[in-house]
Amino acid sequence: MKKQAKPRVAFFDFTDCEGCQLQFANIGTTLLDLTELVDIVNFREIMSEAGEDYDVAFIEGSITTDNDVKRIKKIREKAKVLIALGACAAIGGVNGIKNRSSLDLAKQRVYGDKADIINTIKAMPVHEVVKVDYVINGCPVYVPEVLAVLKSILMGKPYVVPNYPVCVECKMNENVCRYEKDQECMGPVTRAGCNSWCVNNGNRCYGCRGLLDKPASDAAKDILTKYGLKVEDILNSFTLYNDSMGEKYDQEFR
Amino acid sequence: MLDREILLEKMRTSPYRPMKAKIIEAEMVTEKEKFFRIQLEDKINLGHTPGQFVMVSIFGYGEAPISICSSPTDKGYFDLTVRNAGVFTNKLHTLGKGDILGIRGPFGKGFPIDNMFGYDLVIVAGGLGIVPLRSLIRYVMHNRNDFGDVQILLGCKSPKEFLFEEETKEWMKRSEIKLNCTVDRADPDWKGNVGLITTLIPGVDINPSRTYGVVVGPPIMYKFVIVKLLEKKIPDHQIIVSLERRMRCGLGKCGHCQIEGVYVCQSGPVFTYADLKNFKGECHEKAS
Amino acid sequence: MKYATLNKKDLNKWLEHLKKSAKLYAPRKKENLFVFRPVKDVGDVVLEYVPTILPPKKYYFPQKEKLLKFKIEPFQTAKAIEGFEDFILFGVHTCDIAGIQCMDVVFRDGPEDPNYLNRKDKMIIIGIECLRYCDKYANCASMGNHVPRGGYDLMMVDLGEKFIIHINSEKGEKLVSKLDYIKEAAEADMNALERCREAKKKVFKEEFIGPLGKVYGVFDKSFGSDVWKDVGKKCVACGNCTAVCPTCYCFDTQDDLELSLNDGIRYRIWNSCQMDDFAKVAGGEDFRKGRDTRQRHRYYRKFKYPVDKFNRYFCTGCGRCTRTCMAGINLVETVNSLLSQETL
Repeated sequence: MKKQAKPRVAFFDFTDCEGCQLQFANIGTTLLDLTELVDIVNFREIMSEAGEDYDVAFIEGSITTDNDVKRIKKIREKAKVLIALGACAAIGGVNGIKNRSSLDLAKQRVYGDKADIINTIKAMPVHEVVKVDYVINGCPVYVPEVLAVLKSILMGKPYVVPNYPVCVECKMNENVCRYEKDQECMGPVTRAGCNSWCVNNGNRCYGCRGLLDKPASDAAKDILTKYGLKVEDILNSFTLYNDSMGEKYDQEFR
Repeated sequence: MLDREILLEKMRTSPYRPMKAKIIEAEMVTEKEKFFRIQLEDKINLGHTPGQFVMVSIFGYGEAPISICSSPTDKGYFDLTVRNAGVFTNKLHTLGKGDILGIRGPFGKGFPIDNMFGYDLVIVAGGLGIVPLRSLIRYVMHNRNDFGDVQILLGCKSPKEFLFEEETKEWMKRSEIKLNCTVDRADPDWKGNVGLITTLIPGVDINPSRTYGVVVGPPIMYKFVIVKLLEKKIPDHQIIVSLERRMRCGLGKCGHCQIEGVYVCQSGPVFTYADLKNFKGECHEKAS
Repeated sequence: MKYATLNKKDLNKWLEHLKKSAKLYAPRKKENLFVFRPVKDVGDVVLEYVPTILPPKKYYFPQKEKLLKFKIEPFQTAKAIEGFEDFILFGVHTCDIAGIQCMDVVFRDGPEDPNYLNRKDKMIIIGIECLRYCDKYANCASMGNHVPRGGYDLMMVDLGEKFIIHINSEKGEKLVSKLDYIKEAAEADMNALERCREAKKKVFKEEFIGPLGKVYGVFDKSFGSDVWKDVGKKCVACGNCTAVCPTCYCFDTQDDLELSLNDGIRYRIWNSCQMDDFAKVAGGEDFRKGRDTRQRHRYYRKFKYPVDKFNRYFCTGCGRCTRTCMAGINLVETVNSLLSQETL
């Protein structure tokens, strides 16, 4: 690759836990190699001073207030490349649970008698408000995938998120299937790319990377039922991360 | 060593390792298609059969199967014409003269030119189908006295989608070849036929037992064109098609191009209609 | 020496010996299942086991395998792997050995695949014959793979106090010779082996309701069968069945670049015909759109296509696809449904 001026990278927070930015800090020594390729100008987790100019904007978190909408539009105007970093930004993530009830009820529950003075709108993934160039799924994001996306950005090539289920990677890792152990698992309908990180470490898949383009939800529901889950539990499992996907959610699960 | 032996040796010892090749000409020929003239390292001749394909490599982007559109009689280089239709071809389109590519191949079974010696040919090209057929047409031109009458039917959605326009005009001027064009939708400058390519076939005058019908086009086109050729009484084994599948390894292993038990990258992409009839249901091009 | 014997109490001693001779892989426990792993502690090796989650194919056809090294500027390619190391697969079931034979046939079929064949050259197989069914999912008897049919260097059979070992190659012979605790088999041992095989005939019964020849015939006629619709409806398209199959070898390739964005490696990675986009072309046409057609394809790749091409069934009877299927798609039931439809 021809040497050009290093792209300036900034990180921005919306409604989230900052856990995905923390994963960047966890990249370790490779992060130093990365600074050969990019300039990090705004990064709350590891830098103190905030930069002004940037080419590449990593967005963490969902859009949940009117102010968020204004802010993300401004960032979009400035950034040449905009990346949704992590489940909240990519698919709405757990914030989407808010959308399950009416906004008034949600406000009431969270803020009680102060509900009226709080501005909040439905929880949205970033792509519902502005154009997103790259998506990095996961709660939190998986570091090797972050690096793969970064390379794609630097090469100016699209990053294609796998459209096959987590099971594919999980089997290649020769994990004991969670269903073998009579546990429910979202692996069969969830987009791979995480190298079945959770299951490798003894957990199950919660579906944080969002659903496949064409999840076999009918078959998946049959399986969950077969393993003794009630309809309500199944819905909760399917929607923990996917509630704000709106129509897709309705089509697949209602 | 002969070029052919070098290529075979490479295929035997390192079938996954692409050869270095240089783009010596590159030009956008329509809105979506780009033409490339390519030279292998040491100017090795590809020595392909018309109808075969190569795997083009751009490191970091992967590989894609691309039909060869020049004739093996065009020595010292070969031609590709590529539609921009995805991440890989998008990158390929950014390359130009002097840029380096990786090439593996040639792969697959091409048109049965030896069997076609002495026969009349009806060549039917729909849309991008002219790309592999250009290889055959150029071959026939260069060995014109090996074949009987040659008729070419070209069809496109609209006039601006015609590939190899200049060359087609040259072909039209040649008295030993009959060439007819049609478009689905005309534009104000178009003076030729309007209508589907199937409408041209009834008007073709042939001696069916002495004729090969060669058809390449989008999947949907085959069914209709094959029916018309059958109506003309061309025997099954003299109707030749080339199928588009997702060739990946080129070695009959990876499985992506498989139609039922057949690996298209090895047994195809060229098949006879007699071959197609053996498929039970996964060959969408088979006339029902 | 054609047959040798090894006392069970000396098994670990032999394993230590094998471990010194070459890289040793053997089955061991993982949670409630089994896996092949490099042997660290010979005490972990188990010989009574239900087929491992993945078959040993991962050692001769790895999940993610380097195909070549490349440099973009200046254009350079190089072999990705310089040398392959000798390795022993220990305790391989006869069904999995049949799987290895199938893979050999595929990768030897021209154009040959040197990556596979180079690894295969370095492989020594020590099998263990099953004397009873591993569980209710296996269909090895119908496939004829419940008994050894070649393809190994050594084959062990449990005779109670000791193992009798069939020596089937020079490589194998080297691993049992010059060891004072491995002796040539006596006549009594041979008789015991004979009795053992006789007893097996009562244990293993064909699992399909028809003979194998009939299974082939029924596949020839069942392309349009409703059975595929039922299977497709159940299928969740997770790809487990193809990953665990000892004779599935479809793959995809992928380029990984280093951070320099100039050097990289082209890999081949297991892929599955059960995936959505597996047969989709650039133009958008998908030639196996439904889960039913994809499942049908998997079955035909076991019972029809390879029989036509190689005169060999690519189902080994190991039962893994059924065992691993959370949707409960059962190979024996599927084949039997086809057979019973035929007899209607």
